[in-house]
Amino acid sequence: MIWHGLGRAYVGLILIFLYAPIIVMAVMSLNASEFYQLPFTFSTQWYERLFTNEEILGAAWRSVWIATVVAGVATVLGTMAAIALWRHDFPGKRALQALLFPPIAVPWLITGTAMLIFFFGIGLGRGTPAVILGHVALALPYVIVVVTARLQSLDRALEEAARSLGAHPWLVTRAVTLPHAAPGIIAGALFAFAVSFDQFVVSYFLAEPGDSTLPVLIYTAIRKGFTPEINAISTIIIVFSMGLMLLAARYARFGGDR
Amino acid sequence: MQRERLRALGLLAPAYLWLTVAVFLPLSAMGFFSLLTDVPFGNREWSFTFHNYTEFLSTGTYATLLWKSLRLAFWVTVWCVLLGFPCAFVLARVIKGRSREALFLLVILPFWSNSLVRIFSWAVVLRGNGVLDRAVNAVLPWDIKLNLMFSQQAMIIGLVHSYLPYVILTTYLSLQAIDDSLIEAARSLGARKRTILWRLILPLSAPGLIAGAVLVFVPVVGSFMEPRLLGGRVGTTYGTLIEDQFVAVFNWPLGAALSFILLAVVLLILAAASPVLRRVQA
Amino acid sequence: MKTLLTTTAFALIAPMALADEIRVLNWQGYGTDLDWAVAAYTEATGNTVVHEYFTSEQEMLTKLRTNPGAYDVVLINSAFTGQAQAEGLIAPIDTAKIANFKDVDPALAANQDLSPGGALHGVPWTWGLTSFAVNTGDFPTAPTSVSVFWDPAFKGRVSIRDDALEAVQFAALATGQNINDITYMAAVKAKLTELMPQIATFWGAETDWNQNMAAGQFAAATYWSGSAARSISEGLPVAFVVPDEGAIGWLDGLSIPATSTKQDAALSFIDWMIDPQFYVRWDAEGAPATSNIVAAAALPEDSFNRKVLGDPAVVARVQFMRPVSDEKRAEYLALWQELKAAQ
Repeated sequence: MIWHGLGRAYVGLILIFLYAPIIVMAVMSLNASEFYQLPFTFSTQWYERLFTNEEILGAAWRSVWIATVVAGVATVLGTMAAIALWRHDFPGKRALQALLFPPIAVPWLITGTAMLIFFFGIGLGRGTPAVILGHVALALPYVIVVVTARLQSLDRALEEAARSLGAHPWLVTRAVTLPHAAPGIIAGALFAFAVSFDQFVVSYFLAEPGDSTLPVLIYTAIRKGFTPEINAISTIIIVFSMGLMLLAARYARFGGDR
Repeated sequence: MQRERLRALGLLAPAYLWLTVAVFLPLSAMGFFSLLTDVPFGNREWSFTFHNYTEFLSTGTYATLLWKSLRLAFWVTVWCVLLGFPCAFVLARVIKGRSREALFLLVILPFWSNSLVRIFSWAVVLRGNGVLDRAVNAVLPWDIKLNLMFSQQAMIIGLVHSYLPYVILTTYLSLQAIDDSLIEAARSLGARKRTILWRLILPLSAPGLIAGAVLVFVPVVGSFMEPRLLGGRVGTTYGTLIEDQFVAVFNWPLGAALSFILLAVVLLILAAASPVLRRVQA
Repeated sequence: MKTLLTTTAFALIAPMALADEIRVLNWQGYGTDLDWAVAAYTEATGNTVVHEYFTSEQEMLTKLRTNPGAYDVVLINSAFTGQAQAEGLIAPIDTAKIANFKDVDPALAANQDLSPGGALHGVPWTWGLTSFAVNTGDFPTAPTSVSVFWDPAFKGRVSIRDDALEAVQFAALATGQNINDITYMAAVKAKLTELMPQIATFWGAETDWNQNMAAGQFAAATYWSGSAARSISEGLPVAFVVPDEGAIGWLDGLSIPATSTKQDAALSFIDWMIDPQFYVRWDAEGAPATSNIVAAAALPEDSFNRKVLGDPAVVARVQFMRPVSDEKRAEYLALWQELKAAQ
């Protein structure tokens, strides 16, 4: 039992590590210093300024709904592909798996520039459709890798058994494969959301000016000096997401059975 | 059999078609550029050449920085695996019920914060007179100046922080799927804890662990933002070189060539490691 | 003020009731996108202004190359105006349509880099220095030489920008050379190699510069005069220094892309940008120096630009940047990358 206690303490430590900069970010949003200096003096001025800053609010909202769309699309397409890669063996499978690496390996600067040129060439140009096109492509490998990793623990024999009993392939997928893969699918969706939400290089190239996303705004603001308003919006987003997640955890079970 | 193939195709096509249009075709255009002397638009003179690739071999700087980036990625991956596996293990096998769902989500949440804001927050923590310095000085009776910024350590801390959740979550996904009855059976057959861990749990969790490690290693090799902001003078990486070709000079062909060399090296490493990784898996 | 601007605006835009939307391409936070400035302009002329930003000059050129017709006003540093004109990206400027042009410093208006091919392609707008600023905590009295960067007492506490050209020119100044015609590259390389161990980090933008200075991570760091003015006005404990060795001068011009369809509206915006009403208020927030003599004279006595850049002795030590060829840029970049990789 002492191991269990130590284990829990360890997870606690890891969480502290993971949240340290988040907490600092939140604290700095309530700090009067414009230059992120300690000692701490409480002030809500950044939040007040934030609520009149249409640019940041608009960009944040745009980032959220783009990321939601991207997560949805990437999860569906990625899960389908992962199931196919896990279920079937065919020539060229290794090549297809290797093709998942370029989007993650090639620096986003190159991919972004390449997308920009290509999308112009095919007449798509810039704008929200281009951004979504780009984001989904960058998120797909993450979804596929994660769902595949989860599927590895499912014995294919189970599916074959169900099929041999006469079940329709779609029923098999729905009743056998998907439930097992569910935690992986959810993790994949959350990763896809994160990839899109934090993506700035590709968005920077493909977004219509004036229709910025939040990361792009932050990135270009570096030049002038960004202010803790950015911390304020980031804190709001994190707190809101945390609330959403804790609510979801209360009502859904997706960490897997047990 | 034919129907099976068609079904596989049907499942694979949407994703790979999307990737083709959005990534592979554009990257092919970049690949084409990498073989040119100059970009083929804007009234510029251009011709074919392998010079951009041979330049990598003839310039010591490029190889030095590639090696530096590979080493950085290696260490970051090692730390992520060492720190992440125990955490995933506890999450998957010790903690039960609703709190596990909540923790699973809480681990992902830091991903949703903006990476630039996170890096600047790390600066506030790690620098002289920052959070860590003040905290340590408040606790210890004697005065020490703790400034971790602009160092190898700061880079690794920042990168591990950004990528650790990948390892925790993918490993968790594999660990959590391990059937309890397998462990029970092994224990009832008299296997010691260490044997169970080594021969049963590790191999079964390997797919997740490896997936996580790959999702860490590959992007870190090409990273340049965190290294520069946290590493300072020692924070120049291969990614910086590529960025320079777009930002400091107008040499996209060289930038493209350097990226494809990076991609090739990464794929080679993964290919070389794959037989070993295959044996680790159950 | 409104009447003046309105009259000016109506004078140069022939009576047309249609309002245009003009797109301005500039650095973020560099004067053209100030809320009050845009609002005043829109109110006076009816034209709306949309901004797009770039984070490097190469990016600015790329945007011009790949987006014909997308921009109406673009900020181009004089060192790049010639290149933009040679590529056919910008159009000659009809200065007759800019009421405030008569007040522009004749020396700047005649600057050869802004008039490639003999015709003016960029209206001189702002100029400033790239020199350095020191933390007043470390320097109760301001230093007079750039050698403080090499002073072992400040090891690990100096910073220069992560830019190959700037680094090379900085070292050229330190070794007493002409920044536009460096004859002894070996001396530059040696000087930079000696500088490396002194450096804490290479700063990239105002954000990290300000935060690191405020936190005391930097004792001395290179900086632009306009940005220094802004940081000082925001309360940062720094002092801007133009050392005996001199400083790098730069001149920014406002140009009009050749493919712009709203050149008249663009001209009216440029006119507002060099208007004293705009400039004096901008300077109070921290700005580079203006090209408009009347505007400069209208500055308060204690304004940074007046004190520092109005001093003829200082201006005499400034070496203005000329265009740099692509080959030289590549050469400097290779040197810079080599130095950084060795760390």
